[in-house]
Amino acid sequence: MAGNPMTQFEVYKIGPEIKFGNIDLSFTNSSLFMIISAAIICLFLYFSTKERKIIPGKLQLISEILFNFIAKMISDTAGSKAKPYFPFIFSLFVFVLLCNMVGMLPYSFTVTSHIIVTLIMALFIFFAVTIIGFLKHGFKYLSIFVPSGVPVVLLPLITVIEIISYLSRPVSLSVRLFANMMAGHTMLKVFGGFVISLGLLGGWLPLSFSVALTGLEILVAFLQAYVFAILTCIYLNDALNLHH
Amino acid sequence: MKFIIFTISAYLAGITYLLAAEAGMPQLDPKYWFSQGFWLIITFATLYLLISKLFIPKIKNNIDDRERKIKEDLEKAKSYKENSEIKNREYERVIEKSKKDIAKMINDSRKKLDKDIQIKKRSIEKQINDEIKKTENEIETLKKNSLPSIEKISEELTSKIIHEVTGEQLNQSSVKAIVSDVTKKNFNKNIS
Repeated sequence: MAGNPMTQFEVYKIGPEIKFGNIDLSFTNSSLFMIISAAIICLFLYFSTKERKIIPGKLQLISEILFNFIAKMISDTAGSKAKPYFPFIFSLFVFVLLCNMVGMLPYSFTVTSHIIVTLIMALFIFFAVTIIGFLKHGFKYLSIFVPSGVPVVLLPLITVIEIISYLSRPVSLSVRLFANMMAGHTMLKVFGGFVISLGLLGGWLPLSFSVALTGLEILVAFLQAYVFAILTCIYLNDALNLHH
Repeated sequence: MKFIIFTISAYLAGITYLLAAEAGMPQLDPKYWFSQGFWLIITFATLYLLISKLFIPKIKNNIDDRERKIKEDLEKAKSYKENSEIKNREYERVIEKSKKDIAKMINDSRKKLDKDIQIKKRSIEKQINDEIKKTENEIETLKKNSLPSIEKISEELTSKIIHEVTGEQLNQSSVKAIVSDVTKKNFNKNIS
């Protein structure tokens, strides 16, 4: 266990093999922790909305704070037009947050530390936003690549840069989350390994680092979920309100 | 030729080395990519449906309910406050009016009392004056009446005394003259 810091990211099959043709869709530890995260969210939301009081209890208050937090985030970045997408942003935020947080537990698996998971989410957001943009504005949506107030000489260059930056959105979105999660967990594992190898005499320093890093990682887990959600809002804003 | 083979084999070796390095990163192993994607879509879709159809409306309803309640309560409080202000003004007006009434009443009753006292005083004075006049009159008449009778008594007394002392029968008219003369003198002396 103490050997390779990357073994924590290994995906292995749980239960029987499920195959469609050549495609392996077996239930894995990744799937298990996705379902655990979703189940925790659903249980929390179930218990926090069970009693509907005028003066809220603790759980109800947390869920309402979460609701208002995300509602404010969306209205601040994407305006009132983004209201229909509120449930999606809400689900996205709580799902990424819980996947990150569950990953902080020892012996657990971090779903979001896999590039394929974050890439699928980022690609879905990318295509959804692009489709929404074209549905709302037709071909005028392409004007997003041509910023106003730019000298004509620079326009071809700027347009190319804009197109590249637009196309790199799913990559940056997915790699940001994946790399943060992976780096953090690898670092925790490496410091954990140091504690063991340095033993009782020298292990205290890496242990204290490990404790501090755990705090940092919890912060990062929240921050990355927030960044993921707010970037989605910003992309949505570009598609809904054509500013250029 | 040898150089080309060497380069190709070196390139292949590099690739295998890189692949081996990548094998150290389980994220880049495509074996379970489809499985992860499949389960991610199922889980997230379920979560999204549950949240959007079940939980968000509940939370939203509750927040809206509270806002409505707060708004209603504030409106109610405002109307109560207005009502109380109106009542307060009315109360102050009533107090003001009654104060004025009381002042007027006090004034009126004082005036009436003054008037009554004056009337009583005057009537009593009149009565006293009347009484005094009456008494004076009586005294006057008494005086007038008393003089002849005193004279008569004096005459008789005088004639009797003279008769007893001297044994003489005096003339009635002379006695009368002397008595009246004396009494008149005395009477006038007494009166003055």
